Amino acid sequence: MALRYIDRQLNIADYALSGFKRRVARNVVVVFIFALVIFMVASFSLTTTSLKQAAGRLLETVPDITVQKMSAGRQVSLTEDAVDKLENIFGIRSVRPRVWGYYFDENNGANYTVIGHPKLSEKSPLPGLGIDYLPEMQLDTVAENAVIGRGVRQSLELGSRRTFSLFRPDLTLKSFITAGAFGADTSMVTDDLIIMDLQAARDLFGLAPAEITDLLVDVANPLEIDNIADKIGERLQGVRVVTRERIAKTYRVAFGWRSGFGLACLFGAMAAFAIFAWDKATGLTPAQQREVAILKVVGWQTEDVITLRFWESIIISASALGLGYLGAWMHLLFFDGVLFRPVLLGWSVLKPPVSLIPVFSIGDLLIIFSLSVLPYLAATVIPAWHSAAIRPDSVI
Amino acid sequence: MRLSLRFLLFLAVCISAQLGLIGAANQRLAASSEAERRIVRSIEILGLSDFCIATDARYVRHLAVSDRLSPFMDHPGSIEHFPTGSFWIPER
Amino acid sequence: MKIELKAVEKYYNRGGSNQVHALRGIDLTIDANETICIHGPSGSGKSTLLSILGGIIGPTIGSAVVGGKKLARLPDRFLTLYRREHIGFIFQRFQLIPELSVLENVTLPLLPLGVRPAQQKKRAMELLEKLEIDHRSDFPAAEISGGELQRAAVARALINDPSIIIADEPTAHLDTRLSEDFLSIMSDLKKLGKTIVIASHDPLVSESPVVDRCLYLRDGALAAAF
Repeated sequence: MALRYIDRQLNIADYALSGFKRRVARNVVVVFIFALVIFMVASFSLTTTSLKQAAGRLLETVPDITVQKMSAGRQVSLTEDAVDKLENIFGIRSVRPRVWGYYFDENNGANYTVIGHPKLSEKSPLPGLGIDYLPEMQLDTVAENAVIGRGVRQSLELGSRRTFSLFRPDLTLKSFITAGAFGADTSMVTDDLIIMDLQAARDLFGLAPAEITDLLVDVANPLEIDNIADKIGERLQGVRVVTRERIAKTYRVAFGWRSGFGLACLFGAMAAFAIFAWDKATGLTPAQQREVAILKVVGWQTEDVITLRFWESIIISASALGLGYLGAWMHLLFFDGVLFRPVLLGWSVLKPPVSLIPVFSIGDLLIIFSLSVLPYLAATVIPAWHSAAIRPDSVI
Repeated sequence: MRLSLRFLLFLAVCISAQLGLIGAANQRLAASSEAERRIVRSIEILGLSDFCIATDARYVRHLAVSDRLSPFMDHPGSIEHFPTGSFWIPER
Repeated sequence: MKIELKAVEKYYNRGGSNQVHALRGIDLTIDANETICIHGPSGSGKSTLLSILGGIIGPTIGSAVVGGKKLARLPDRFLTLYRREHIGFIFQRFQLIPELSVLENVTLPLLPLGVRPAQQKKRAMELLEKLEIDHRSDFPAAEISGGELQRAAVARALINDPSIIIADEPTAHLDTRLSEDFLSIMSDLKKLGKTIVIASHDPLVSESPVVDRCLYLRDGALAAAF
């Protein structure tokens, strides 16, 4: 009985496939368009998932707590004595003062991130980051050593030159020597960085000698982060305390927002396809109506005709899902997701060579399935009730 | 061979190609573990907060330090407001 | 199989302004192994009568009993089952699906029964061989001649080995030679014990020795039997 059921299904599927072969040009176009829609949606969700997963893996060493001073709703610098106020809070492992900021390069519209690091004045500083250090260099003028990211190097068009200058707020120039460059494999976080000595960063930004921009706090017990953040808030007036969890959350929201926006754009494409499918399924040609009537009169049940429609839809949507999803993976794996980078990564002037490694997630696949195959099945099989109800006597 | 079995074969080919791609992705992920270790260490030592995949607006680069006033602060033509800044190139 | 119609009335659009009273008070008994011919002008209700005999539609009033089974009250689903087990239809213009090959057309009724492809082909080719068109089995129905179409249609009607064959104007589009061919096929089927109902106003059919009885249908009523 079960075997007979399978044979019946296979027979009807065979018939559906032979119909597909008979109208191959039209059906290939449908599969192609459908696969394109799935390709776009899948590329999108793969890109976002892969970014989110990378964030989950890589952003775990983000400082537990970042403390910034706020004044009139905007961030201002604080002074180094804040470190002393925090150090005796029980549970804090270390407090690192930091000077950092953005440098907007008006020549080419790029934003750089400048970080002052106390260790940069030492010999061979910052080990283990994959920085290529260059031999020491002496200039006639006063110049600071700086380690720069690849994007910065390209954006400043340094070429083989090692010196460059940045403007202080009073528009005087400050000179730098490239002491080292970040390797390509850390571009994902270092592309826009200019690392310099703490004092040099203060000089560049026009900060007073003891001023810092924020404090990085490491906490011994991760479970205590929120408690300690509260304590810091009480101890220092007018500060904003940002925890790692909040950064992660903001991050998820931002990319969720972006992918949501993209999906909303793609929704139009999907809706258009659903309408197209509906139209195709409901508007039976006289030849198709006759075919249904003949099938019924030679003994096909209404349910057999619906099974036929079901298989026709399965053939189209499964092929489209297979090809579209496969295409999306190749798009990400071999073409770095080139089509959707702008939407997700923004129109940055610096374009870090982020290699997005797609991650398979059954949830994503289900979402794509339920956004593409299910509506297509619904759009074609439901009106099939209507067409399958054609009376067999219409051929007589 | 009957058509339906040929179709199943086609699907099986798709699925195995898919599995191959997933395998390749996992391999690539494993191969990048050294780079990932460096990234994690860079984040830790430099106190970074985010990836630098979007530098179009400052608070997109460092979401942790974004505030409501950052739009329009540096570049008068830049529509530095999320998500607008991500979709339009600032006027030069 | 024995067919009995009692006091059959058939209306289309009953109660509507365009009501058609297609059959009026039909009482008809066809014995198993009998071959009858129904003739009458077009619009006389021949097709409706055939549809009721073949279980495509049910009568509005009255009863249709085929092989001891009452068709009148059967839901559509069971009518289809009945049709596919017991009835072979041959239509005017044959109603093959033009893009399908002869073989595919002939095997259509077997698909929902879950017959395996090899078995389908074997059964169909046996029939096509008997009807002498096995050499055309792979041709699309659109590309074969009228006589071949007719044989293909007969093959499709016979593929499920039905006990009742119903043919609607089978010779209307055939020349004399092909019509005679058709009748000789019917005569062979009769020898196998099939019940055959042919609607036709072709004298070649009504005067053929194959036909046991001829009924005349006029304005939806049986006028005479001779």
